[in-house]
Order: sequence, then structure tokens, then C-alpha cells
Amino acid sequence: MELSVLELSKRLGVTPITIERWLRQGNLPVSSKGTHCRFNKKDLENWASKRNISLDFSENKNLSSPEKEHPLLSAAIQDGGVYYDIKGDNVHQVLKNSIDKFTVIPQDFKDDLFDRLARREAALSTGIGKGIAIPHPREQLHYLTSPVICVSFLDHPVDYNALDQKQVFVLFFILCPDLKLHLHLLSALSFCLKDFQFIQFLEQKPAAGLLIKKIEFLQQRNTI
Amino acid sequence: MNYTLLHIFRNTPFGRETFLQSLYFCKTIHAYPVVYIPKTDKFLMYFPNDAVQIDLDNSYLFSPKTAKKHVLELFDYMQIAPQFYMPKNFTASSLPDIPANFDYLCCPRSVSDLSSKIGLGHIGPKVRRIIKHATFPVLIASPVFKPWKSISVFFGGSVNAMNALRLGLKLALSSGLPLDVFTLLEKKDESYYENFIENQDFPETIKQLIRQWHFYKKSQFDKMLYEVPHDSLIVLGAYGHGIIKEFLLGSKMEKIQSTVMNNLLITGPYCSISL
Amino acid sequence: MSKIKNWYMQIYHKLFHLDDRLLLIIVGSIAGMCSGLAAVALRLSLEHVFEWLHPFRQYGWAFVLPAVGAVLSSFYLEKIAREGAGHGVPEVIYSVSRYGGLLRFRSSYSRLIASFLTIGSGGSAGPEAPVVMSGSAIGSNLAKFLGLNDRQRITLVGCGTAGAIAAIFNAPIAGLVFSVEVILGEWKFVNIIPIAIAAVAGTQVSHAIIPEQVIFNHIPFAVSYNDIFPSICLAGVTALISIVFTKTLRQTKKIAQKTSLSFWSKALLGGCTVGLIGIYMPVVLGEGYHFIQSMISGTFSMGVFVIFVAVFAKIFATAITLGWGGSGGIFAPSLLIGSLIGIFFHKFILLIFPNVEIAKEGAYALFGMTGIISGVMQAPLTGIFLIVEITGGYETILPLILVSSISSTMSHYIEPASFYFKELIERGQFLRPGTDERILADLNLGELIETGYDTFSENMVFRDFIEALKSSNQNFFPVIEDDTGVYKGVIQISAIRKYVLDPGVYDMIFLNQIMDTDVLTASLENGLQEVLDMMENNNMDTIPVVEHERFVGMISKNRILDLYRRELIMQTSVY
Repeated sequence: MELSVLELSKRLGVTPITIERWLRQGNLPVSSKGTHCRFNKKDLENWASKRNISLDFSENKNLSSPEKEHPLLSAAIQDGGVYYDIKGDNVHQVLKNSIDKFTVIPQDFKDDLFDRLARREAALSTGIGKGIAIPHPREQLHYLTSPVICVSFLDHPVDYNALDQKQVFVLFFILCPDLKLHLHLLSALSFCLKDFQFIQFLEQKPAAGLLIKKIEFLQQRNTI
Repeated sequence: MNYTLLHIFRNTPFGRETFLQSLYFCKTIHAYPVVYIPKTDKFLMYFPNDAVQIDLDNSYLFSPKTAKKHVLELFDYMQIAPQFYMPKNFTASSLPDIPANFDYLCCPRSVSDLSSKIGLGHIGPKVRRIIKHATFPVLIASPVFKPWKSISVFFGGSVNAMNALRLGLKLALSSGLPLDVFTLLEKKDESYYENFIENQDFPETIKQLIRQWHFYKKSQFDKMLYEVPHDSLIVLGAYGHGIIKEFLLGSKMEKIQSTVMNNLLITGPYCSISL
Repeated sequence: MSKIKNWYMQIYHKLFHLDDRLLLIIVGSIAGMCSGLAAVALRLSLEHVFEWLHPFRQYGWAFVLPAVGAVLSSFYLEKIAREGAGHGVPEVIYSVSRYGGLLRFRSSYSRLIASFLTIGSGGSAGPEAPVVMSGSAIGSNLAKFLGLNDRQRITLVGCGTAGAIAAIFNAPIAGLVFSVEVILGEWKFVNIIPIAIAAVAGTQVSHAIIPEQVIFNHIPFAVSYNDIFPSICLAGVTALISIVFTKTLRQTKKIAQKTSLSFWSKALLGGCTVGLIGIYMPVVLGEGYHFIQSMISGTFSMGVFVIFVAVFAKIFATAITLGWGGSGGIFAPSLLIGSLIGIFFHKFILLIFPNVEIAKEGAYALFGMTGIISGVMQAPLTGIFLIVEITGGYETILPLILVSSISSTMSHYIEPASFYFKELIERGQFLRPGTDERILADLNLGELIETGYDTFSENMVFRDFIEALKSSNQNFFPVIEDDTGVYKGVIQISAIRKYVLDPGVYDMIFLNQIMDTDVLTASLENGLQEVLDMMENNNMDTIPVVEHERFVGMISKNRILDLYRRELIMQTSVY
């Protein structure tokens, strides 16, 4: 496998000017000279290991390494699913009943998830007001492959110790394999929940398809 | 982009013409001229694989007091912000180093001969060596200040000649002036050249930028030279080949430089131009 | 058939491309032989012209001879070869450290001719520096011809130098040591072998051409423990004299530079002065090898006082010759001065303690030479090995090492820069591989600059900026003028924190009201050293680079550290 100056410069994290200077100074093992220099991969590896220079040849590391795509809120809800008529009279019951219904959570981890959510609620209520709560664990959930948001519409509003003391009628479970994504989804969700019309829309307990469409529409207004 | 052109100022009327040419070139292609007023009669240019000592004749050192004033006047005349090069490094106390990291260099046809002899003489040996080793194109100014309105590229169809064409395209892009290509058909026919362009990056852009492509039969070299617009900048490649031949173009290059009055922009064998 | 060819190509590639040791050894020995030839040619022609001019020396007008030589030599250098005067060694070191040893082709012969004219006519100078210059230029041009890279070229420059020194003194190890210690400044495995071979090649060339004429004959000396104390005292004396010598050299040169005479009248004046001294003190004329030989073999007959005067006469004559237009080095004069001091010291001791049992005066001449060489060049190894090889025996090595180390340490204490390096250090161009200066000189701003910054219009409303801030990962936001793109200032997150948290001002202010216009900016022409100083003095971690009023990018200390380390690895790695 042969590399060009530009490719090598990206691998080494320097500018092509530096590579050209190193070439001129004779610091690099070059396999063919002329106007277009090429480098042999094996020679380079040998050379780099002698000098303790890290040289990443793994193919999955894209040369340009594009920014990690942030998951879309609508996609997360699509993955998580929307659940209706969750029974329960207090926080723990609604949490427990919701988790039991979630299909994305493996059966073995459901108790663990409930414990984590209960602990989070004990620390500080996730009821953010206007009848909405966003329960989420403080740790990352390694068993998930992608971030999901499960929406549970309750059978009847429950007292959730919310900030505005309003009874909660819908729960958005944010479950993420990565805390960074968590933050991103949280901010995207709270952007949507700022919209008064959206809350009204939620109060009608819309069907899953309608809900996702609405969120997609809101997303376009908020580009982050 | 910030392109810079190095000009070595000669404080004589002849030098003024050359300098005006440099300024015009820079103004047209939006580059920045940097002027070096020599303090000693020689300086060194370190290229990647050669050190070239440029010996200047006394006309370069003539009246250093007025030199700066003259340069500033001419800058002012062309409305360009003045910039001077002060050598930082010295190989020996009377031998400053001039870096070879400029984008263009302006030369008269000869730096060490008396200007009276040059009229339209041969390119001097020092200038040849600069061209041979330079990593940048060299502007060979016409003896008298001669503004140009178009760009003419001599394109021979080799990979190296592509450099000259790319340079012509670059200049056409940055100046907005029309570009003509002149090709002398040797052995190959017209379709070969068109295919050659097809295989380059951005063939469409290249085709769009070229105003007209003139083809000439092998025997029509003189006709071609005559038909190059008198007020155009000629861009051509010159590539050292072996020890004996100064340039691959050999007799052609010699003929061009000794018969054509236009300004020449020459890319050497170590130049690599990217669009 | 194609398989064989393939094999051949692979072997060729392995031998000559990846691992260039074989290539360097072959080309290095060629360089060594060529520079050896140059050295022998200069030595032989100097001897012949000296003999040829000898009959004329008895005439009264003989004092103009050095003047004629100096005028011719400076005329040749100034007008024909168009090279500056001087001995050329700093030029070689400079080129090795900054431009990968690129030297002009004309250097390979110009100094030879110029120093031939100077020394042959009787000027007091040494042929070694010119020979070093031409040897290194031969090596450099050989590398240029073969299209080798900087590292290989530097090795070949070292080979040329080693071959030249080895050939002129018939001392291969001294050639190797001088080349590595003084010219290259780095002991690297890959350098040493080709240079050693080149040194041997140079010696063999000089052997083959002038087999019977070794420059200094081998004479065995019996050195006892009695000599240790006197040699320590001698080391002190040589250290002092070498400082006097270097100071005189530099002062005379400065005076010559201040004098507003044309170069040939300077040469004429200087040459006549040397010639006049030479009438009364013929020992100062020429390179003086045969005087040194007679001092080593103990046949030198001069009174104590006369020798003492001769030391200073030689110093003065050398300073005048080199400072006022002549061309040549200080190696041979140092040897002569050293041996004069050595025998002066010997005679002086015997005068005070007539019964003391010490070695012959020839041995003291050797000690003196080592002392001066080590003191002037501050290259102790070169001093030791040169003298050991010249005498061909290790009997004297103990006092030699003593004298050499003491003399170089003492002179280093008083004058930290050696004669060869002083000029470079003063100009800030003494860039040995692996040193901070060298790395900073090698890295240029174009390599360090981080581009890809989004620029913002100065007329942007702060709210829009806050929106842009959300999706940006920059910490610095360059602000430019709308139409022209001229750089106006920079916004740093840390500086605008309090406005960012106050939504009330979002619609009230434009970017040109909050941007920082006083931030220092660097230009691509600045050296890295200057930029680092700027950052240091103003307590900045990042500095914007502005070229022709356009924003180009930023330079951060993080990036500098990153590349600095890489560069250090590159320069110090043992290939």
C-alpha cells in the first residue's frame, strides 16, 4: 500500500509543508521520488515504531474524520416508541409500569433501570412543569446501541413533585448509551417543550406518527 | 490567497520599467509585491537542492539614497501598499540569504550583464539557473513596461506543460482576463490535447476559462509566434533535461525568448502549480 | 528474467533508498578522495612556490611580496570568484545547520586559489580552512549532483572536510574528529562511518601522491611524570595566548572594516606590514610547517627572548593577513604559535631549574600546539588526536589530554564562543542539531498555523453571533470588514463571557463593539522565535496571524508543543 504526501500528512497530523521539509531533510523513508512522492506503508510503520511516533493506519478512522452525527430527536422517539394509558397512582408505579412495557430495554435490565430512575427521582424530581416529566438515569446505559426516547402517556395525571406542582400526564424517558448524546437530546427536547402549542398538542395524546411528524417540524426550526 | 512576488530593485530607468511591470502584474492578479533593494552586489538564494549566488552589477547598487524614494514613488503611482524585504540571515557578512519561498519572482532577462547589452538579448545564465531550480514561476519582464490584456499559454501536452496551463488558468481566474492556448501540433493531433484536458481535474472549468485554443502545424512555429497577441502575458513551461540541454524546449524556448517582446512567465521543472 | 529484475530493484531500493549507508560510504569515499586531492594540490603548490620565491627573499624589496599576493588574492575573491573574504569555516557550519549543507560550486576552488596566492607569497595564514571549505563544497556538490537529501548531503560535507584535513596532516582520525566535532556537531552512527572512510581515503590519496613527504615526522618522546606539572602550567599559558590570539584576530578585522579604504589598498597595506615583519622574523611567513617540523625535532635555534617576541609577531602577522584582505585559516598559525610557546616554555623552565629532568623541547612543542588548538577552536578532541597522530605515538598522550582539557576549559571560561563559532553565535545562527534554536529555526509559521476559522462581519448583530456560537467549536472568532475582508479584530470567548449570559444586550450591540482590536498579531514572515517571544511577553496562548491585512489563521501553544516534540524526535533520532 502506498501513500501520497497529502495522505501521510493527515495521518501524522502535520501540514504537507512539514512533510515536504522532512523529505528534503531526509527524515522520511520515501519509496519513489520525483514530483509525486509515494511512501510505502511497511517502511513507514517500521520508521514510526523506531521513533515512537504514532501512525494510525486503521482504515475505519476516516481521513477527514467527520463530526459525529447527532441523533435526531424524532429518530430517537421513533426508536423508543410511544406508549399510552400507563396505569399508576404515584411516581414509582408509573415508572415501573412504563418500563415494563418498553420493548427496547432487555428484560434482564428492567429492574436495574427502575432502580436508577427511582434514585434519580429521589435526588431531584424530573418533573419540569406544565405536566411533563423527563425521567432519565444519571449513568450511561451500555446495553443500548443508540439513544432512545420512550414516551409514556399516563392513564390519569399523577403528582410528580414537579416544580410548578402541576400533575404530570406525560413522561419522556431519555435513555442513552452515551452521556453526551443525553445532553444533546435533553436540550433538543426542552426546545420543543418551550413551545406552548406543542404542550397543547401533547395534551390530546396524539398518535405516534403524528407526534413524530410534529417533532420533525419543530426540529427544522431549531438547527442544533 | 496571499501571493507574493519578490522584486529586486535596480535603481535605473531600465529597472523602473521592470518594476512597473512587476507592479502591474501584481495589481492584475491581486498579488503583493515585496521589494528588495540590494545593499551588496551579491546575494544567495537557497533552493531545495541548490544554492544559487546571484551576482548583481553595479547598477543595482547605484545611489542607494534615492532607491527607496523611487520605489515608494512607484508604489504610490500604482496605488499598492509598499512592502520591503530585509534580509534576516547572512551566509557571510556581505552575502545575504534571500529565501526561496515567494510565489513569484520578477527578473529582467539578465541580472549581471550591462543593461545596454540586453535590449532583447538572451536570458542570462543566472536567470536560467533560477528558473531551473525555482519552486515558483519566474516573471521575465519585457524591457519596456507593457501592460497586458490577455493571457497566452504555450501548451505542449505533457504533464509538465500542464503546470503552465494550470498557472495560466489561475491567473485568468484571479485577474478575470481572457485566456488563449497556443499549441504546436507535433506528432499528435488535436483530439489528443482535448483528451488530455478531459483527464485532468475539473475539465469543465478548464474549458470554460479558455477563450480560444489555437492549433498550428509543426512548420508554423513562426506564424504562431506572430499571432500571439502583442499585449498578452505568455505563460510557458521550461524543464531542465539532462546536463547538456538547458531546457527540453531547447531551440524553441530560445527562439521564443529572443523573438517575442511580451512578458514571459516561466515555470521551471521544480514548479508545481495546483489549481 | 523479470523476477531477477524485480529482485534487483528490491535490493537496490533497500540498499540505496531506505538504508543509505552503503551509498554514503561509496560516495563519501569519493568525496574524501577528491578533497584529499585538493588538499595535496594546495600543499604541493605552496611548497613549490615557497621554494621558488626563496631566492628573492634576501632582497630588500622582498617585503612587498606578501602585499602582491594579498592584493591578487583579494582581487580574485572580490572580482572574479565574487566571494567574501574570510576563512569560510563559519560559512560551512552555517550552511550545514540551516540549509542542509548546500554550498556553491565555486567555493570548491575559489578559496584554494585565493589562499594559494596569500600563503604562497608569504602571508601568515593556514591552508587548512580553505581546504576544508573546498572539501566540504566538493562533498556538497557531489550530493547535489546525485540529488541526495539534506541529511545525506550533510554527511558528505563531513566526508569532504574529513578527507581534506586527513590528507593535509596525514592524520585520518584527526580528520574524522575535526569534521564531527567542529563542522557537524553531532555524533551519529550513520555519519561517523562514511566520514571515517572518507578520512582514510583522503589520507591514502595524499600517501599515494607524496609518499615520502609526511608533513611532520614521527619522533618518539620519552615523557615521564616530571612533565605533568610543567604541562599543566603550560596549559594555562596556552589558554591565555589563545585568547589573546582570537581577540587580536577579531579586533584587527574590526579595524579593517571601519577603515574606508578600497579592498586592494587594504590588502596592499596589510601585505606590506606582514612583509616587513617577515624581514626581521622570517618565522612568521607562510604557513610555517617546516618551522614546526624543526621545532618538534629540536633543531630550532632561537633565543628565549626572540621566541617570546616571535609568538606575538606571528599573532600580529596572522591577524593582519587575515583581517586585511588575505585569505586563509588559523589552523597552521595556531600550530606554529603553539610550538613556539612550547619551546619557549621549555627553555624558560630549564633557565630557572637547570637540573630538572623533563622531556625534550620537541615534546613541549607538541603540548603547546595541542593547547593552542584546543583553546582557539575549543575542540579538545581535535587537538589531542591531531597531535597524537602527527607524532605517531601514544607516549605523550597523558600530558596531551591534560593540556588540551585544561586549555579548552580555561579559554571557554573566559571566552565562551570558539573562534569558528563566535561569528555565528553573535548572529544567532549557531544552530546545532537537536538544540532549541535549531528546532525553532526549522519550524516555520506556515507549518504551525491552524486555518479553517470562520470569519465574522464586523456589522453582525450580537444575537446572530450567539446563534453562530452554538454550532461552532472555535474559541476565537476573527472579525473582518464587510467589503474588503480586512482583518479588524478578534473575539475571544473568555472576554465576552458576561455579555453572552446577558440576553438583554443581544440586540443592542454589533461585533465591532465587543471585538478586541488590540490583540497582537503575527505575520508569516515572523520567525517562530519572535512569535513565541510575543506570546510570552503578552501572556497569550494563541495568536492570530494576519498577512496583508487578511486573517490567515491562529497559532496556538498546543500546536507548537505538538510539532516541537515531533521535530525534536526527528532531529535526535538515531537512524
